[in-house]
Amino acid sequence: MKKSILSALILLFSTLSLAEVKVVTTTTVIYDLVKEIGKEKVKVDYICRGDQDPHFLEILPSYMLKLRNANLVFKIGLGLEIWLQQIIDGSRNDKLKLIDLSTDIEKKDVPTGKIDASQGDIHPNGNPHYWLDPENAKIMARNIFEVLAVESPQDENYFKKNLNDYISKLDAKIGEWKSKLASSQGRSIITFHKSWIYFADRFGIRVVGQVEPKPGIPPTPSHNAELISGIKKSEIKIILMENYYSDNAPNQLARSTGAKVIKVANSVYGQPGINSYIQMMDSIINSLSNNL
Amino acid sequence: MKYILIFFLFILLITNTYSQSNVNPDISLIGTFSAFTNNIKDTPEHGKLNFETPSMELYIDGYLNPYSHATANIALEGGEFHLEEIYAQILRGLPLDMQIKAGKYLVGYGKINTIHPHAWQFIERPLFHQVFFGPEGFNDIGVNFSFILPTESFYSNLDLGICKGDAIAKTEVFDPADADNYVDFRGNSPIFVGRLSSFFDLDDYTNLEVGLSSSYGVHAKMDFNTVGDSTAELENKSLKYFYGGIDFKLKYKPDSYTALTVQGEGLINNRQVFHQGDVGVNIPVEISEKINSFGGFIFIDYLFSRQFSVGAKYDFTYGIIGDEPSFSTLSNDDKNMTHCISGWFGYYPIEETLAFRLGVQNLSFKYDDGTLRDNETTITLQMLFSLGPHKAHPF
Repeated sequence: MKKSILSALILLFSTLSLAEVKVVTTTTVIYDLVKEIGKEKVKVDYICRGDQDPHFLEILPSYMLKLRNANLVFKIGLGLEIWLQQIIDGSRNDKLKLIDLSTDIEKKDVPTGKIDASQGDIHPNGNPHYWLDPENAKIMARNIFEVLAVESPQDENYFKKNLNDYISKLDAKIGEWKSKLASSQGRSIITFHKSWIYFADRFGIRVVGQVEPKPGIPPTPSHNAELISGIKKSEIKIILMENYYSDNAPNQLARSTGAKVIKVANSVYGQPGINSYIQMMDSIINSLSNNL
Repeated sequence: MKYILIFFLFILLITNTYSQSNVNPDISLIGTFSAFTNNIKDTPEHGKLNFETPSMELYIDGYLNPYSHATANIALEGGEFHLEEIYAQILRGLPLDMQIKAGKYLVGYGKINTIHPHAWQFIERPLFHQVFFGPEGFNDIGVNFSFILPTESFYSNLDLGICKGDAIAKTEVFDPADADNYVDFRGNSPIFVGRLSSFFDLDDYTNLEVGLSSSYGVHAKMDFNTVGDSTAELENKSLKYFYGGIDFKLKYKPDSYTALTVQGEGLINNRQVFHQGDVGVNIPVEISEKINSFGGFIFIDYLFSRQFSVGAKYDFTYGIIGDEPSFSTLSNDDKNMTHCISGWFGYYPIEETLAFRLGVQNLSFKYDDGTLRDNETTITLQMLFSLGPHKAHPF
């Protein structure tokens, strides 16, 4: 009998010591950052796969199951995940805390004046693709640390050490990425969607046009014709696009102008071999530095 | 019905006056414009291009507080306004993580019924919905309790509801617009509805949902002369029904531009119906008799290049589509059948803001008494637009 009670107590305490913060992230980039800071003290899952367009996600009941027992859900914000609230409602989790990681980000492309659908899929509070600037990834990581430290105060020092290690790693990589793209400073590129402005500003690249005539609006022949003359005139070498978009229109532009289409993953697990934020940025930087 | 509109406009105006919130509800409008032609002889539409009166649905929805949400949907169809849906939902904070929905709503029987027709891949309502639920589908006043079942590895949901039963009466009351008729024919007899559904991620790109539905209650109350004597006292009897249903949806979506959907539903109808037997003392004896009938559909839809979709559907049901509701037709008919083959092509230039659909439907009829009737083919061209905020599509 004594043995049984002892075993039960050991089991109880071992369970308590393994108590972990349950986190769900909307994207795989946030997932990777949470893993880096929380490591084994945090159980983390994500909703949108790396090879999916986070603007448009069909709401699967399995997403609700992921959120059902979570303590925290992190999102990019700025209107990227319009599907999230429906999933939260479906999860019925009234203890779930929603964390918007855009709070401390310096927003770009914040529209002024009246906004309507004639301007395409405009994000009223600014362009949400800020994670493609690694300096913003540092801000995201710090925000994640602060939230995890509040959620699990006994692990604050552990999270702090992980954060510092990760920021150091990221700082070293930012230096490496900048030097790789140093010779491309001031070069112009075309992108498929207006999702690269944070990245371009950080690395001194000029984005002079998009394959989409307006954000979220499919390419049109007349817009393609305008782009062809612009690409030829400005001698643009690269059309940069996320690998979940169709490359029909970019390839047509490439055939007419000699520009090269570069398809990259803009999220972790967006293609095989990209298993972390640093690997993702490495892949993007290498693709550009080899072709710009 | 214009009073409903005035009422809602009034509610919208006072929302900000009396609430301490400065957040407006979402308002969106779906407009539908259709033109059609058919080969149905001896009808004014035969062989001509016919324009239908445009229809619209005005949605108003938003959170009431952190725990609950409300939706209203006012529809204009055939030049008449009516209240399609108005309900409130408690989303969280209840014991057992239950959600409660109360009001007038599309009842969760099967998969398709809760989705508004403008969001279907096809144009025409499935035949068995028309026969067993009426022209607007299973839309009723009631309360629904929803539970997520503790199946950790996959999502399972149980819905249990109790409804007024108007939708059931619409398949047999001659004038469905006359609400008093329902009380006359059914009495005050709530019906019960339930659905158990499970969802599976087969892999990253393939998902399957299967469901079982049922509904049970009184579909009519009638006075029976059980002895066949014109002087005898009539016996009031309740006629009961049971609907059992099965549904599935399989979707393969390898990327944002392509999706293949195979979906189907079936319904078994078991009900007591009025039947005249042999002559008793001086008139036929009136008895209730049990009948069994069924209906179902299956369709395949292929979305390609994000903007185009093509699909085909096979439909069948007991009951003859187009028959007037009565106690021997539609849901009470276990002799005659309607079959339908339909196909469609959809073009969605920019997400769901604008859609064009071309549909072809061929109805064939099988009468038990050998009556011959020509097949009826209808070609419909439809344009839909969606103004206002768009929500993400549920599976």
